[in-house]
Amino acid sequence: MVRARTFLQRIWEIAREVFGDKAYDRYAEHVRGQGEIPLTPGEFYVSQLQRKYSRPTRCC
Amino acid sequence: MRYLRKAIWVVVAIIGALGLAMIATSRGEPLNAVWLVAAAGCIYLLGFRFYSRFIAYRILELNDRRATPAERLEDGRDFLPTNKWVVFGHHFAAIAGPGPLVGPILAAQFGYLPGTLWIVIGGVLGGAVQDFVTLFCSLRRDGKSLGQMAKDEISTLGGYTALFGVLFIVIILIAVVGLVVVNALKQSPWGLFTIAMTIPIALLMGIYLRWLRPGKVLETSLLGFVLVFAAVLGGRHVADSALAPYFTYGGPTLAWMIIGYGFAASVLPVWLLLAPRDYLSTFVKLGVVLALALGILAVRPTMLLPPFTRFVDGTGPIFAGKIFPFCFITIACGAISGFHSLIASGTTPKLLTRESHARMVGYGSMLLESFVAIMAMVAATVLQPGVYFAINSPAGVVGTLPADAVATISSWGFPVTQQEMAELAGKIGEVTLFNRTGGAPSLAVGMAHIFSNVLGGSRLMAIWYHFAIMFEALFILTVLDAGTRVGRFMLQDLLGHFWKPLGRTGWYPSIILTSSIVVSAWGYFLYQGVVDPLGGINSLWPLFGISNQLLATIALCVATTILIKMGKTRYVWVTLLPLAWLASVTMTASAQKIFHPHPRIGFLAHARSLAEQLAASTIPADRIALTERLIFNDRLDAVVTTVFASLVLLILIESGRHWWLYVFGRKQPVLNEAPMVLSKLPAEA
Repeated sequence: MVRARTFLQRIWEIAREVFGDKAYDRYAEHVRGQGEIPLTPGEFYVSQLQRKYSRPTRCC
Repeated sequence: MRYLRKAIWVVVAIIGALGLAMIATSRGEPLNAVWLVAAAGCIYLLGFRFYSRFIAYRILELNDRRATPAERLEDGRDFLPTNKWVVFGHHFAAIAGPGPLVGPILAAQFGYLPGTLWIVIGGVLGGAVQDFVTLFCSLRRDGKSLGQMAKDEISTLGGYTALFGVLFIVIILIAVVGLVVVNALKQSPWGLFTIAMTIPIALLMGIYLRWLRPGKVLETSLLGFVLVFAAVLGGRHVADSALAPYFTYGGPTLAWMIIGYGFAASVLPVWLLLAPRDYLSTFVKLGVVLALALGILAVRPTMLLPPFTRFVDGTGPIFAGKIFPFCFITIACGAISGFHSLIASGTTPKLLTRESHARMVGYGSMLLESFVAIMAMVAATVLQPGVYFAINSPAGVVGTLPADAVATISSWGFPVTQQEMAELAGKIGEVTLFNRTGGAPSLAVGMAHIFSNVLGGSRLMAIWYHFAIMFEALFILTVLDAGTRVGRFMLQDLLGHFWKPLGRTGWYPSIILTSSIVVSAWGYFLYQGVVDPLGGINSLWPLFGISNQLLATIALCVATTILIKMGKTRYVWVTLLPLAWLASVTMTASAQKIFHPHPRIGFLAHARSLAEQLAASTIPADRIALTERLIFNDRLDAVVTTVFASLVLLILIESGRHWWLYVFGRKQPVLNEAPMVLSKLPAEA
């Protein structure tokens, strides 16, 4: 039972990462590690989208 | 342990062989789809275990001790070492499009066997190899794009060929998928209401994600999905109410609506409409693909379509032409897709933590895509053949009236009655299923049949049908708006060389101008397809297939060049064999579409036959203008095909010239890889 729940939790975490939920946390962690101030979540989200959709991202 | 592993692979091989044997020996009696799925699945597993491993370690020499660009250039945004399965999910979501769902449905006119064989063989030996090797090449070059690699590894001419190839393929691709959506939604108030609702739902999601919960994509997608499902359920009430006429339109009006939508979605801020729709469609797409796989395993349907039909003779109603080359051109993305090489040289290489992950991400995700194509083929075969042809055959071939259509189709040896079609249409909540070309409605009927056998029975078939239509239209429209935006960026980049302000991606006048140009280009082809009496798919889908395989040719030329430069000339057959096959298919298809004397195959022959009818005054006065436009369109299509064929020849000659120089020592190969730096990451367990 516990193993099933851990497995499902793992799937949920992977799904969150695939959809990019954790992107801001990873970015902020990296930027703070460099000693700089990260963008706000809103600013980061918009700039990521603009970068993502300026090149082929969705196939035929 | 070693013996156990070997034993497992022997069992996999036996199951696969058994499945193939069942298919080969099923003379006359309908076969259960499970055999097809098992055979395909086992071949994929064997291909991954043996062939991809051979490529990975003998040819490409993937080295986990070498730092990937994600590690060396980590910036928290684009370059980011990411879990292998997350990258797999990202990459698969990016490459999974409508192609593997529509192509097999259309190719099923030859029977299920030719298409299935190509999906499996082409996938394992062609598409998966292309995706894998392109991903590897880009990985070793810090995530360079295909165009950039074509320029650096082949020549500047190679680079420009790639650039123009991509621009053209984007235009044709959007036109063709737009046509699929128009044909799925015409005269369907339920369908149009559901899809129309996805726009306000996406706007809501966009605002939620931008202002309320930035970056919380998964929960927002879940909320969006619930709302969209409510729209599917609500659509029935709208279709039965006084609002129905406001959602009932024919092809041309729908085409204009889609053109307007594409323009709006590409000029509005990306976070408002485009991105939320993309999240929603990815969520639905991944969920439905999984559900379809489970559904097929649960229902184990019988395949009613025979392995071969009489249309192997080239007289098929859905598209004209013989198996070679048109079955391969039609299936396109289900086996090999050049567009994937753009994705494989996009964001994916910048996320890989270790080189060995490229095998699962590159090779594996294409196999999964190929498997999706198999499932689409199965969904096509669960229909009675007569029903399949009645849905997919254009009125221009079988006759406009239902009575004519059933007579024609029954005369081909596929019995079907008007009553049968009327009952089916009633069951799924549509006015009619005749002349619903483009593959999407028949896929939806097949999926509804499978899902309703799992849950709900025939009472819920209408819900399942419209759910399937919503699923297809949703992610086709994402291809449309994301593609228009990409096309706009490329055009801005190109025009910026002539007048700098046009290259400024944030400058609204430039945005409006370039978006208008891109939308007009695909809008023209879309409209042409909608008014075409032969159904549009007959002319547009081969154009799409040829352009897609052109891009695959470019990718394989780049891959072959790089393999030679790596000193792996004796293994170069791995990319050269699929390349040779693709080149022969693409060139034959181009030649036939331009020069074939039969008007249903050759564009110029069709134009000539219409011109003769005009000259003999056999065209009614109210159709003269339309006929003149059809003649122009045929000639334009012939020109476009010539351009594609020329680009293929150009890249082959240019690449071949360089291979000759390298192999015979006339030119020193320079490998442009990023510097080798040892990885500091802990070794994988």
